[in-house]
Amino acid sequence: MNKFNWKIGGEAGFGIATTGLVFSKIASRLGYQIFDYIEYPSLIRGGHNSYEVVVSDEEVFGLKHPIDYLICLNKDTFNFHKDRLHKDSFVVYDKDEFEIEENYKKVTVPFNKIIKDNQGQPVMKNTVALGASLALLGADLNVLNEIISERFDKKGETVINFNQRFAGEGYNYIKENYSSLIRPLLINKQASKKLVMTGNDAFALGSVIADCRMYAAYPMTPSSSVLHTLASWQKTTGMVVRHAEDEIAVINTALGASFAGVRAAVGTSGGGFALMVETVSLAGITETPVVIFISQRPGPATGMPTWTEQGDLLFTVHSGHGEFPKIVLAPGDQEEMIELTAKAFNLADIYQTPVFVLSDMYLSESHKTVSYDFISKFASVYRVNRGKISNLKSQISKPNLKTQNFLRYKITDDGVSERLIPGTKGFFYQANSYEHLEDGHTTESSFERNRQVEKRNRKTQSYLKQDFQMPRIYGDINKASVVFVSWGSTKGPILEAMNMLTAKGRRTALIHFNHIYPLDENKLTQLFIRKKRHILVENNSTGQFGRLLRQEAGINIIEKILKYDGRPFWPEEIVNKI
Amino acid sequence: MLIKYNHYNRYNSYKNYMSSINDFSGYQPTWCPGCGNWGIGSAVKTALVQLNLDPSSVAMVFGIGCSGNMNDFINTYGFHSLHGRAVPTAAGIKLANHKLPVIVVVGDGDCYGEGGNHFIHACRGNHDITVIVHDNRVYGLTTGQAAPTSQKGFKSKSTPDGIIEIPVNPLSLAIVSGATFVAQAFAGNAPQMTEIIKKAVEHEGFSVVNVIQPCVTFNKVNTYQYYLQRIYQIDKKHDVANQEEALKRALEVNQERFPLGIIYEQEKPAYHNQIPQLGSGKSLVEKDYFDNLSLLLKDFL
Repeated sequence: MNKFNWKIGGEAGFGIATTGLVFSKIASRLGYQIFDYIEYPSLIRGGHNSYEVVVSDEEVFGLKHPIDYLICLNKDTFNFHKDRLHKDSFVVYDKDEFEIEENYKKVTVPFNKIIKDNQGQPVMKNTVALGASLALLGADLNVLNEIISERFDKKGETVINFNQRFAGEGYNYIKENYSSLIRPLLINKQASKKLVMTGNDAFALGSVIADCRMYAAYPMTPSSSVLHTLASWQKTTGMVVRHAEDEIAVINTALGASFAGVRAAVGTSGGGFALMVETVSLAGITETPVVIFISQRPGPATGMPTWTEQGDLLFTVHSGHGEFPKIVLAPGDQEEMIELTAKAFNLADIYQTPVFVLSDMYLSESHKTVSYDFISKFASVYRVNRGKISNLKSQISKPNLKTQNFLRYKITDDGVSERLIPGTKGFFYQANSYEHLEDGHTTESSFERNRQVEKRNRKTQSYLKQDFQMPRIYGDINKASVVFVSWGSTKGPILEAMNMLTAKGRRTALIHFNHIYPLDENKLTQLFIRKKRHILVENNSTGQFGRLLRQEAGINIIEKILKYDGRPFWPEEIVNKI
Repeated sequence: MLIKYNHYNRYNSYKNYMSSINDFSGYQPTWCPGCGNWGIGSAVKTALVQLNLDPSSVAMVFGIGCSGNMNDFINTYGFHSLHGRAVPTAAGIKLANHKLPVIVVVGDGDCYGEGGNHFIHACRGNHDITVIVHDNRVYGLTTGQAAPTSQKGFKSKSTPDGIIEIPVNPLSLAIVSGATFVAQAFAGNAPQMTEIIKKAVEHEGFSVVNVIQPCVTFNKVNTYQYYLQRIYQIDKKHDVANQEEALKRALEVNQERFPLGIIYEQEKPAYHNQIPQLGSGKSLVEKDYFDNLSLLLKDFL
């Protein structure tokens, strides 16, 4: 199997994110599968940015610690990442800027001289570096030139040619000076059409497939790109995308829209979600569907804004004052993100309660290959299920008709009452944040209070019966001596680690949860009955999912691998702990 | 310049039906005897009848407070929201179905205190909603603490030595923030209030009706007598489209003079009218399912 990684680094403001994504897209267009990851400080200029891409013939689930190609646009890149280099690593740098003493496969490219000789901007070093990288990997330059043409399409031929010249300079420099170091790793393969998507892209796409018509958000890393993507699509999709004054307005706007009859969602990260929590509770008692996307980052408070953590699971599960049902989903990768996002909108409508889609910076901002066919197929089988929406029609034929109070909160066996779209003639009702009667009017009666609390609580049982999904099992759990237990984005690094362990002759399995809350105690107990070495793997410091599993299902996992430095797991570090 | 009212009711899609006050009447109100809310409640219902609306053809959003309790006393499609949050809820309803008139009923603490940020930004957005603020300059439902509109020095349970802050000026705040219809009514003058509410609902854009209202139980300073000596009718020569003139009126509150009537009105495109995807004639609720994914997927190639 052909598998390698490529990493580029440079000063913030030098287009590292764009360059990395272009590399991912090139690999994808040439028929390979990728997984990438970006690291950047919470600064626009001056810090160190880096971007790495793992490329393979087969599906890539996570990162790889040893670096095969390190492209240094400055000396920091080398210094910060040299501990991950090995003697066969290729290191590309400009020897006019700094020199490297250690022994690697050193490739010096005169970035600065090329820029100067061709009257380019310093930022165009990254284009030279891409050209040089493609040459080293045996790729055709055309695929880069094609992307440059698309990117600068609106700026005209002159700009396109100018940029392509720098790509060509880097490419030719390698061909002329380092032909012996060229490896055929990125030669064009014929393969089916592939897409390069982040978890946030996948959420945006899932919400469109689900017919979400209103998305409201306040910018907050690492969730903001959902807002950008949906806003850039809105004239095409017809969705209304609103950047409101704060997260409180965001979720209340979404609730108003949902009450009025459209599917609505909001997106944020932990701090912004903290502001929304009051209205999560409002959605609970008014039984208003809403999908809440939370991309976690390390807290508390401002924490480390551009890094990753799974630290808000219990906060989400317990969010909102008072008792009411809620559903929490946590996709493990981009494909699951598309499926579960679309499912979240159905669940919100079916159970008329808040439904959460939990992501984190690692899943939200990393790109992974998703096949075009997968999306087309999923979109064609997905069905919008609005749940119990009344089919009462406007009664306008009868003049002087007395309008009736619709029983919005009618007591039912499954806990779900019919909704009626406001504006339907002949009826009225109120959605009430106070405890209420079946018809929506405020009540403090103990009898009515109990009936409404119990009605709402029954929705949890209905969900567990109809829509809860058991964790997915990877590997052969019967033969495995080690069984990992995880949720959300840790799936990828564990799958990579399992592959490495298999190569070493170790038998492992993974129980991966993406339907996080509520949990079905009866079904789950059966799954953990075997005497196995269970290891909980979580990107937080207190093993929050382990605590939830103990609280909800009485399952106690003793052994834990936890990481909370803001970085995702390296598969290698999981392997080393087994 | 005086804006000419177009008497065509822009929401009138229900011509055969003549509603009555009775149709809108819900539970018997629990407001204190003598409370200004009674007058406001009946002015709202009268305005809805005279606008030819019926309980099915209007959405009302209520905040939390004595004013918000109107939710149970009036029959319409309603959303009894959270304290301070009624305005963004209403903006969401309007965006989803801009064919429904949306009316917000809130108090001064609700709208200018807890929800102050939302109020300012809803003015900026010129959302096509009508906000009726019950301004009694005190917190009634929580038994009489100082409000953002209380006069400096107002003594209450939470401010026993008198409130330190100066009051919010709702009218000038609305005018400078971008509201396109700003009016003031008095709870003791129901006929004028009814006319103002009707015009506010007819106005396309963000309309604010600040209703000055005595709280007979907890505000012993700003009583009916207090207001009767200090209110005055804005004369017909007042140019409602002139922002500076409007501000002059609004600032008269500093001299404890309270103008009644429409203080400011401008015709500007409402928020939803500036969203291209809502321009097709269909509301968001009515729109067709979008299924041309290939238009989006090209971004990921």
